[in-house]
Parts: sequence; structure tokens; C-alpha cells
Amino acid sequence: MRAVLKYAALGLVAALMLLPFADMFVGALRGPRDVFANPPNYFPVEPQWSVYARVFDELPMGRWLFNSVVVTLTITVLQVATSTLAGFALAKYDFGGRDAIFRLVIGAQMFPFFLFIIPIFFLLRYVPLAGGNGLTELGGSGLLGTYAALVLPFIVTWYGVFLMRQFFVTIPDDLLEAARLDGASEFRIFRSIALPQIAPAVWTLALFAFVYHWNEFIWTMTVTRSAPELQTLPVGIFLLEDQFNTLDQKSLQQAALAVSVAPVIFLFIVLQKRFHAATETG
Amino acid sequence: MQRLLTAVATLAATTAAAQDAPITVAMHYTEEQAAPLLACFDAYEEANPGTTIEYQQLSYRDYLQTVLTSRIAGQAPDIYNVYSIWAAQMVDNDVLAPVPDDLGSFVTDTYAGGTVGAATIDGTLWGVPTEVSTYMLVSNMALLREAGIEEPPTTWDELRAAAEAVTTRNDQGRIKTAGFAFAESSSGAGVTHPFYTLMFSKGQDVYAEDYATANLGSEAAVEAASQLAGLVQDGLTDRTVDAYDDFPAGGVGMMIMANWYESAIRDGLGDGFEDVVVSQIPTGEDWRTMQYAFFMGVDSGSDRQEAAWDVVRFVNSTDSAAADGGPSCVGQMMADLGALTANADDNAALEEPDAFTKPFQDALAERAISQPNVLQASEIEGLIGQTLDTVIAGEAEPGPAMEDLNTRVEDILFEFY
Amino acid sequence: MRKVATAPGADAASGAVPGVATGAVPRVARPGAMDDRAPGAPRLAPWLFLAPLLVFAAVFLVLPLGFSIYLTFTRWNPLGSPSWVGLKQYEYLLTRDPVFWDTLGHTFIVAGGLVLFGVPLSLALAAVFSRAKGRRVWRAIFYLPQVTNIVAIAYIWQFLLDDRYGLVNRGLGLLGYAGPDWLTDGTWAMVSVIVVMVWYELGKNMLVFSAAIDGIDPQVIEAATLDGASGPRVFASITVPLIRPAVVFVTVTSFITGMGWFALILAMTNGGPRGATDVTALYMYRMAFEDLRMGRASAAAMILFAIIAVIAVLQFRLLRERAA
Repeated sequence: MRAVLKYAALGLVAALMLLPFADMFVGALRGPRDVFANPPNYFPVEPQWSVYARVFDELPMGRWLFNSVVVTLTITVLQVATSTLAGFALAKYDFGGRDAIFRLVIGAQMFPFFLFIIPIFFLLRYVPLAGGNGLTELGGSGLLGTYAALVLPFIVTWYGVFLMRQFFVTIPDDLLEAARLDGASEFRIFRSIALPQIAPAVWTLALFAFVYHWNEFIWTMTVTRSAPELQTLPVGIFLLEDQFNTLDQKSLQQAALAVSVAPVIFLFIVLQKRFHAATETG
Repeated sequence: MQRLLTAVATLAATTAAAQDAPITVAMHYTEEQAAPLLACFDAYEEANPGTTIEYQQLSYRDYLQTVLTSRIAGQAPDIYNVYSIWAAQMVDNDVLAPVPDDLGSFVTDTYAGGTVGAATIDGTLWGVPTEVSTYMLVSNMALLREAGIEEPPTTWDELRAAAEAVTTRNDQGRIKTAGFAFAESSSGAGVTHPFYTLMFSKGQDVYAEDYATANLGSEAAVEAASQLAGLVQDGLTDRTVDAYDDFPAGGVGMMIMANWYESAIRDGLGDGFEDVVVSQIPTGEDWRTMQYAFFMGVDSGSDRQEAAWDVVRFVNSTDSAAADGGPSCVGQMMADLGALTANADDNAALEEPDAFTKPFQDALAERAISQPNVLQASEIEGLIGQTLDTVIAGEAEPGPAMEDLNTRVEDILFEFY
Repeated sequence: MRKVATAPGADAASGAVPGVATGAVPRVARPGAMDDRAPGAPRLAPWLFLAPLLVFAAVFLVLPLGFSIYLTFTRWNPLGSPSWVGLKQYEYLLTRDPVFWDTLGHTFIVAGGLVLFGVPLSLALAAVFSRAKGRRVWRAIFYLPQVTNIVAIAYIWQFLLDDRYGLVNRGLGLLGYAGPDWLTDGTWAMVSVIVVMVWYELGKNMLVFSAAIDGIDPQVIEAATLDGASGPRVFASITVPLIRPAVVFVTVTSFITGMGWFALILAMTNGGPRGATDVTALYMYRMAFEDLRMGRASAAAMILFAIIAVIAVLQFRLLRERAA
């Protein structure tokens, strides 16, 4: 009896999690005959599968996908690089100022992102010698309107550094010392000895970075509002709202959303094991 | 080091290339809607080698914000299509460049006076008028006839009676077919614009002539607000019904709507479009309506203002006509959209509008009053919309709410007039 | 592989403090507590490895924070240059701007709602989940919202909660209820925002709890069960106290998320209807990018940050002490 209740509860929550997605997929298939009925049909009388072709036809979907992939991958690679390098240094070297830097890494996580939107926006705009800015003549757009604006503010993740440090600490020093005696360079020790030891953790970091930045919205919207050629999937769909104004275009919107959600869900399912490792005891 | 040098060189090259960057035109129309205009840009590029024109679609909801953000980001477009109530804020922020003299005389010679006024702030002309719209009562006669009503109402009492007859509800008491509906828009225009038509019909202006005071607390304004609120309070409509969505779906009897929505109604109703009738604002014989306008302006920071103005002139004059004696590109585009134009040459060149558009066009000539174009109009309209929303939702009494609104609006006016 | 509590990068989105140690994060080794310095370890290498981080800290942490603090003392429409106004912006927001206080009230309601409903729900779900079979499948399903972009979440729920033809009110209609006006009524719109936030965060928080529960020595639970205590009682009186660090962590991060996170509200209601769901962070964003009042917006951000910081510290103290 208790078991039944248990699975009923889990099933109920699972249904609540899945139903909204199902609603989106059903909605995407509605045609004019469904939406212009009074009252409108919930289930389409004739599912319009062609909507997924229209998504790529009528919206700059290719552009958005390309931007999402480029930006997300770049950020992911950079975050992994900066986090592992810094984490390794903090875990495996003793030097004056190390504790201070470690405290900075912990402390920096306390600042919510909304504090940075305004100042970073203008710092990027006033970068000299970029985007029409001179050395002191700063009337241009600086780095705004370039991919750099989407990537630079995210190349370090404080939590990632912290995390990588926690994992590097667990590696025995002897291992590194042996390599050092063999004459390996410090970078080589990091790259070939230490890094492979914590590979699962690095993958975890990469996955979360990817998912998070694929879905990033506020910052990307703020800096690409006036640069449509740089917009990513969620931002593009949000800002191209006029395209979805009339009832018969709502299905197009839902299909576009489905396309924006699909790659991450796919990745999530394919790499379930790593997510599994990341979110639970492994 | 070498890589760094290359990077710097690339940056320098990009900066230099900015000189040949295209002239960007930012509008809220989809590329499909703007097709005649896009064709026109191609023609212009052909006639002027070296010039390229790029079209940028911005969402209507975010247009003003996007323009301002682009401006502070230093990457503004060259040409705008400005809704007149955004204009004041853009002028106030020095975003727009004044129209050059020769183009200015083209505008005053070719366009109807009321519309030129919409592009004029403090006596300066800021662009060439493009889309013009007025509001009328749009009725789905199929629903009205079903309810035993043969003619669209001409007075507010008739409207209420007709709406009551049309409204039906489902078992849970939710509206199935609404007698009347407001349009749901982020700017609040769905209630403010019908409100203006009622107020104008009562012979009341929104502001005093010098714009120093407002008349939003006047008897006429309170009455107009009460009339709109009454529709919801008496169950003839509610705010879960959206004229934009539900009228084309055949779920709404009547709405006070602008002409540009024609194509959406046509698409939604299909053959049922034949039953759609456009008629006067239902406020008796002295009815008035409101008109609003867009205009094409040029960014004051654009490094190619002259070229940009030339593009604006070209697309709005019959020079750009696809065929001899035809309308300008913009004129053609407006006609396709179901929108109106105040360009006399275009109106002469265009065919007689269809039965849906004709009453709007007539009203523009005879009954329309321009949407007042004060500084901070966008912010003020937002306030008016919010207050009306509150009153319509029954959360506030019309009298005190409008009185309070008037005070707040006058506070804003006080900063500027 | 060790346990990891939350997504890196989530800190940027939610303003959460994922770094704070919890039952689910690997034990924090104290930096000074060990001596792993090899005699021959070079002095330059760590600095090279840390160089990107240090540059980033200077350019994207210290500089913007400093700039931001400066801006709070100015009036700045970025089409011109900033002018120094001292404390005027703070004064205006705190004493003359009724909207600021309204949004602050809404912010607390959102954050409070997220903590009050989100934490117990995810805790209860974790209790059931941690003793279920097929955990991989359940976990994948519960985590789904977390991998979905916020624009999709906002729109999906707009469709679901449509007053007349959304799935929710259609369902209620079948049962004979008219259903509330989820997004057009002010109070209900606030309820909707909280519901969606709880829904969105449920899976993530549940996983933190379940990882902590897994870390409990099974013998403790067994002993209690043998003593005749019922399942729910064991959970409430034994399990929950044992995973207190995780409870503190989730409570504090949920609260901070609720206070500072406005992406969902921006896309879902944009603060409406009639300002009923307008929160301070969103108000700040609009002030900056719609009204071009950078000084005032920066001041609003700073006040909000100060409130969050104070309350987060208080929460920590309070929940820690109760544990001790």
C-alpha cells in the first residue's frame, strides 16, 4: 500500500513535469482550422507537421542555432580551461596570496548577476580601439555587437574554479612529484597527469556550462537587442514576438520553442550517465 | 605577440570597413509585410552602386526600448519608422535628426495636415509620415444577426444591447462568444485608443491647448472610462477575451479596432469575412475617432544622414513607383497591409480601397483627431492604460481613479510645459 | 565520483551561492591546513595558471562593481555624461518612489513563496524519491525543466494558463470549475509566477536533498524504524535534522534566487497585469534600458543586493544555530 502511494506520488509529479512539454508539442501541430474555431480545438483535427519546416523557412532559425552553438561551445571550452587551470593552481601549489585568491573565489559567488548588467554593458561599449572606438574617442559601440560581448563576461565561473579545486585537492602529491622529478613541465603535469584524474568532474562542469549558457537569456538579450545577427535561439524567439502575433502563428511559436528545447533535452538524455554522476552520488 | 598584432590589425580593418557598412532601416513590420519596400531597396541599390540597404525587423512591443538600447550601445540603425507617441522621447534624447528643408516642403505639400502634425514636435518636423490608422467599430454581422440584430449599433446604448444579445457563456460561466472585446496589447493601446474615441466624441480634448494641463479628470473622461468599464461589469465582455485573437476566430461580436488588422481578420474568418462590417464609432451623430501615425526618421548620429534621407525620400515618393503612375513603395505597402496613407500622390495613384477600408479612409478625412503628441506621450499613455485597466477590472472607481490619473499626468507635463 | 550540489554557472543566473558548503558538496579542505608544496615546485607556474582568473576578476568583477557603486551617486542618461547627485537616487527610491516599495513587496512575496512552497515540496519529493526504484528515469524527468530555456518555460506556461483555452482551465472546466484568471488577475498572476518557479526549481532542489539523504548512515534510520517510529516520523525527526546543512543551503539559495532572478517574470508577465508581478530586479532593468536612468537603476540594484546579503547572512546564522 505504501509502495503504491509512493509511486503514485512520483508518477503525479512526473506528469506535472511532462505535461507542459506535451502541451507545447500538441500546440505546435494546430492549424488554422483549430485555432480559428470558436471554441478552438485542443487536439488538432489534422496535425500540421509541416510547421517544423516552416520554422526553418520563416524564421532565421539557422542563424540562431549557429549562434547558440558557437557561443555556448566557446564559453564552455573557456570555462573548463580557466576553471581547471585556476583550480589546479589553488589546490596544488603553495604560494603567498593563495588563501586570499581562494577567498576571492568563494566571495565572488555572492554577487548576484543583476549587479553586473549595467556596468559590464558600458565597459564593453567603452573598450578602446574596438567597434569604431578610438584610443580616447569612445563614440563607437566597442565590443557590443560582437560575439566577444556574449562570451567575455562568462569566461570564468567562480563556482567552477571552486569545484575544480575541490577535486584537484584529492589527487595525491606523490603522483605529481614523480612527474616533476622526471623533468615534466608544470603545464604537462597539469595536462597529462592531474587533469585525467578528475576527468569525470571536468565533464560534469562542461555539461552544466553548456546547458546553462545554451539557455542564457537576459544578458544575451541585452547586448544583442540591436544586433539581430548575434541572437541566440531563446533571445531570437523572444524578440521576434511580432512574428507570432496572430493566432495561426502561435503554433509556429510553439514549434520554434520545441526546436530550441530539443538539442539540450537530446544531450541530456544521451549523456544521462554524466548528468547522473553530476547530480548524485556516483 | 604576432597573434596579438594580427588581432589589432583585424580590429583596425573592421573599423575602417564601417564606412561602407549598409544603411540600416529598422521597422516593426515582418519581412513579408515589408515586401514592396524591400523590393524598393533593391531598386535603389541598383540605381546607386556602392550603397547597400539592410532591413532590420524589431518587435513593435520592444521598438522604443531597442532603439534606445542601440543608441546607448553606439550601434543605432540609420532609418527608423517611429510611432508618433515614441517620437517625443526620441527627440528629447536627441536620437532623431530634423528633416532637411527640401524634403520638408515635399512633406507639407504632399501629406494631409493632421498627419504632418503627428510627425511634428515643438514646431519641428522629424520625418516623413508613413502608416496612418484610425479606429472604427468593426462588427461580425453573422453573430449579430444570429442574435436578432440587423444593423451595427450607432449609439452606446445600442452597442450595449447588441453586445448583451450576442454574448453567450459555457457551463462554467466563462464567455464563449463575447458581444464586445478589447484588444490586449502590452502598451495599453487596446483600451486607451477606444477611450480616446469616446472622449473625442464628447467634444473633449485630452490636453489643454498649451499642454500644461490635462482633461483626464473631466466629466467626459470619467464618463468614457465608466462606459468602457460598464461593458465588463455588466458581463458584456471581460479581459480574458482578446479582440486580436478572438475576433478572427469568430468569437467576438464587435470591437473598436484600427484598419491595419484587416488581413488578420480576413485570414481568420475566411469566407466569414464577408459578414464583417465597419461602421461609425457608436456615440451618436457627433461621433469622432482617433488617428495615429508612424513616420520615417533618420538617426541624428548616423554618419550618412544625407544618404539616409535620400532613401527615405525615394521610398515615399512616386519616384519609387513600380509602374508609371503607380504609388510609392511605402504607399503600395500600406495598401497591401490594409493601412492608410496620408500621401496625396499615393492616394491618387492607388485604387479605391475595399469595403472594409473605405469607411476608415473616409473617417480619416472627416472625423479623425490626431493622437495628442506631447512630450513623454509614451509614458503618459502607459499610465492612462494602467488606470483604465484598473477601472475596467473594477478595482477602482472611475471618478477618483481618473482624477488621480490627471494629477499624475499633469505632474509629468509640468516637467516639460 | 563525488557529489556535486548544483550547476556551476547557476550562480550567474540565480544569484545563488552554490559555493557554500553543504552536505552535498565535497568537504572543503581548508586552504592553509595542508602543506603540499613540493620542494622543487616552481613559483611562476601557479601565477600563470591563475592569470586568466586574475585578469577576469579585475575586469569583470572589481571594475564593474566599482563603476556600479560610482553610478549610484549619479544621474546618468547614457546619451549624455553622468552628473554627480550624491545620495539623491537612494533618497528618491526609498522615500519618494511608491513603485520601488511595491516591487520590493512583490520581490519578498516571490522569494517567500519559493521558499515556503518550494523547499518543503522538494524535501517531500526527495523523501519518496530516495527510496524508489528506477531513480534514473525519475531523476531525468524531474530535472527536465532545469535544462529548458527560460523563454520556452515562460511561453509554455502562458499557453497552459491561458484563461479560457489553456490546458489548466480546460481541465478545470471538464471538472465543472470555471478556473481562475491565472494571468489577467493580479493576485492569481502572482500565484502563477510562484507556481512556475517552484515547478522549475523542484527537480534541482530535490536532487540536493536526495544526495544528502543518501549520505546518512542507514543504520541510524534502521534503528529508529526498529523502535517503531513510522516512516514520515522518522523522516521528520531523524532525517531532516541530519541533512540540515542541505536544508540551509536550499533555503538560502531559493531565497536568493527568488529575490534576484527576473528572467522568468520578464518573459512570462513582464511585471503585469497592472504591475502585480513587478519585482525590483525587473524594475531596475526597465529603469536602465527603457527609461535610460542608469544612476537610479544602479542604486536600485545596490539596495536590492544589500537586502539580499543581509537576509542571506541572517538566514545562515539562524538556521545554523537551530542546528547546533
